[in-house]
Amino acid sequence: MSKDTQLDDSTLVARLRDPSSCRVAFGDMIKLYTPPLYRQIRRMVQSHEDANDLLQNTFLKAWQNIDNFRGDAKLSTWLYKIAVNESLTHLEKERKRLGLSLDDEESHVVNLIEADTDIDGDELAQQLRKVIASLPEKQRLVFNMRYYDDMKYEQMSEILGTSVGALKASYHLAVKKIEQFFTDMD
Amino acid sequence: MKDILEKVNRNDGMTVPDGYFDDFATRMAASLPEMEWEKPSAHVVPRSFWQKVRPYVYLAAMFMGVWCMMKMFDLMGPNSRGLSFDSNPVITAAVSNDYFVNDYVTLQGDVSEYQLMEDLYETGYVPASYTGGYDDGDYSIEL
Repeated sequence: MSKDTQLDDSTLVARLRDPSSCRVAFGDMIKLYTPPLYRQIRRMVQSHEDANDLLQNTFLKAWQNIDNFRGDAKLSTWLYKIAVNESLTHLEKERKRLGLSLDDEESHVVNLIEADTDIDGDELAQQLRKVIASLPEKQRLVFNMRYYDDMKYEQMSEILGTSVGALKASYHLAVKKIEQFFTDMD
Repeated sequence: MKDILEKVNRNDGMTVPDGYFDDFATRMAASLPEMEWEKPSAHVVPRSFWQKVRPYVYLAAMFMGVWCMMKMFDLMGPNSRGLSFDSNPVITAAVSNDYFVNDYVTLQGDVSEYQLMEDLYETGYVPASYTGGYDDGDYSIEL
């Protein structure tokens, strides 16, 4: 998270806690957090349509619970937590709807990546997406947050409710698996 | 491995339709439902002085009632001297005063005035001969 965003966060939180400025501040917050939250969700669910729906749910839940946000946690942490919960709930529902086991899910996600048309044509990036899709859910989350968002372990710990040590181990394991995949390819 | 991650350079390869983020933010902000705390609060009519003090007045009246009741039970109790005949100085003085007894107790008692006059006449009482005054109730009758 950049220093500018942190500065914006403190101003935003103050405006969000004032009922007279809350709605406008929430609109500003949506503008600020739409891109990072969208990417976080999309890396989990792969499809643009699903990511769009889940992002809407994320902001709607945040809005409905804005009076519970006391500013103790960082605004970004609070929003990421809602987004991650929404994504995991969606994946669970999809697994049940399609009758998939955790092992089947990998091939399902790979199919989604291959069917995705909103891509920039970078072959290596696509290859990496497929490898990440083969990781267990929690490792996938940790790797995405650490590698793509450059998020600190402390913030990840708050979002996922896991110790920093466990997150470091999880990331290390994910990197090893990805490394092994590309080594096998050569 | 490091080379691959560096080559990918944190690019996830995912794209979005043109102007998606701006459109989304605008649509999302416009679709936020109105929350309860946003609605203007209803006009509150200020409470009058009586409405404010009424509960306290009722409370005080209730305590006074309880106190009076307890005081009454205390006076009526077997060990109470509050309503005792002997301990009341006014009653004691009245009973020891013959004039009071003759004038108020006897006349207002079981013996009627008529019967009393009858008795007096029978014993030879003549009203014109009465010269006594009301001095401590000790008056004489001239026969």
